[in-house]
Amino acid sequence: MDPYDIEGGAINVRFLHADSTRANFLIQNFDLATANALRRVMLSEVPTMAIDVVEVIDNTSVLADEFICHRLGLIPLNSKNVDDVLYSRDCDCEGYCEQCSVVLTLNARCTGNEVMKVYARDLVVSEGRPNDEVGNPVITDPEGLGSVIVKLRKGQSIHMRCIAKKGIAKEHAKWAPSAAIGFEYDPNNKLRHLDYWYEEDAKKEWPVDEHNANIDGAPQEGEAFDYDAVPTRFFFDVETVGGLEPDQIVTQGIKQLQQKLAGVIHELQGNDGMNGADDFGGAQSPQMNGAGYGGQDAGYTTPYGNASVWGGGGGTTPYGATPYGGPGGSGW
Amino acid sequence: MWTTIGRLVEHEPNSTLRNPNRKSNHMNIAHKADFNNENRFELFLLDDNEKKVEWEEETRIPNTAVFTFNKEDHTLGNLLSSRLHKYDYVTFSAYKVPHPLFAKFELRVTTNGSISPKDAIVKCCKDIVQDLEVLSRSFTTEWLGKRIVHEGEAERLAREREI
Repeated sequence: MDPYDIEGGAINVRFLHADSTRANFLIQNFDLATANALRRVMLSEVPTMAIDVVEVIDNTSVLADEFICHRLGLIPLNSKNVDDVLYSRDCDCEGYCEQCSVVLTLNARCTGNEVMKVYARDLVVSEGRPNDEVGNPVITDPEGLGSVIVKLRKGQSIHMRCIAKKGIAKEHAKWAPSAAIGFEYDPNNKLRHLDYWYEEDAKKEWPVDEHNANIDGAPQEGEAFDYDAVPTRFFFDVETVGGLEPDQIVTQGIKQLQQKLAGVIHELQGNDGMNGADDFGGAQSPQMNGAGYGGQDAGYTTPYGNASVWGGGGGTTPYGATPYGGPGGSGW
Repeated sequence: MWTTIGRLVEHEPNSTLRNPNRKSNHMNIAHKADFNNENRFELFLLDDNEKKVEWEEETRIPNTAVFTFNKEDHTLGNLLSSRLHKYDYVTFSAYKVPHPLFAKFELRVTTNGSISPKDAIVKCCKDIVQDLEVLSRSFTTEWLGKRIVHEGEAERLAREREI
């Protein structure tokens, strides 16, 4: 029996590696389209914090204002519980406020003879923000410096007021939660989705992820090709930029995708008579649309994984009271 | 906003407020951190009065409808169209993005008549949500388990070091 697939036909996850920056896992009995949708959502639609607007008060460094502003935008900021932050565009305030932004101030002047480096740790987070962690610059190096922003020579100074906002990577890559997401299925190419180009021997010339290939099982010599086979095992390697824990990226990604689908269900079912009731008037962030609608038909079953695998007791429908953050939810 | 910056400038006689003529939504603020293309939110925010999904019955073929999803892309398009293939009552489903610069896709669905294309999509969405819920639970349990193993190992190492 396959040691990596002890649960038979149900969707399940196995970890290969997990630490504070990386989650390397495989999903089994899943389908390609959903796995790929999850990958895409994790790349571009998980909300994080990033500096979006910069007021330049003083800049006598050698770098142009725009240049430094761009660098500031790319600094990863802590995005834990970013749900507490509103999107600026959905907020009632004008411009920005404590509910929808975090203000960081950068104020440095070089007085010594040596070149001074200004680091991300020099960004001072102002009082009054949605929660205690969100918006802190991510600092992971042992010296506690963070990324370099500019270098200053004697007499040069820089003073900027940075307004960090919540956003998604679809708008700008600075909001991307992950540095890279490894995604692979069928490492041995048993399904022949790939047609390798080669000089002499494709086996010798193309690298194979040995570890993943062993888990997936090497093809038998002379094994007949199964035309109906579909991929069921997917290898993910999610690496965080630092703003979110890797598991948060995955669970948030799943949540975003569920909300996207919930929006579609809401839209299609809501069309039966309650058209006028929807007075959101368009320009709303995706999360606001149809999030948390109450489904009428709890307890249906799927043709794939059946509900009993995880359902058990009542009140566990994905649309019910405890879809996200129930007792078994992402407790930390 | 003007007054705030005005005050800051007064406090700092040497400071200069750059680009004071630039009027954006944020009045008088010097720079977007990166402002090459300021309208990229058009990729995912619905316009005024725009609906997420619009659909039209195909009159030439029975049980067929074309759904237009606004402000969505391949993420949802491929997900729905390939998932629909798995249902016996769906005889055709495919999506296209009419133009890469406009964030919308069209999903065409034909059923065998036992269910309307709209209900087929709703059912499909619900099933995916449920699958994702299973995935999410499995992921969370496994991650916690892995963390406990990690912490246990760290503790064991620490104890060994003490001895």
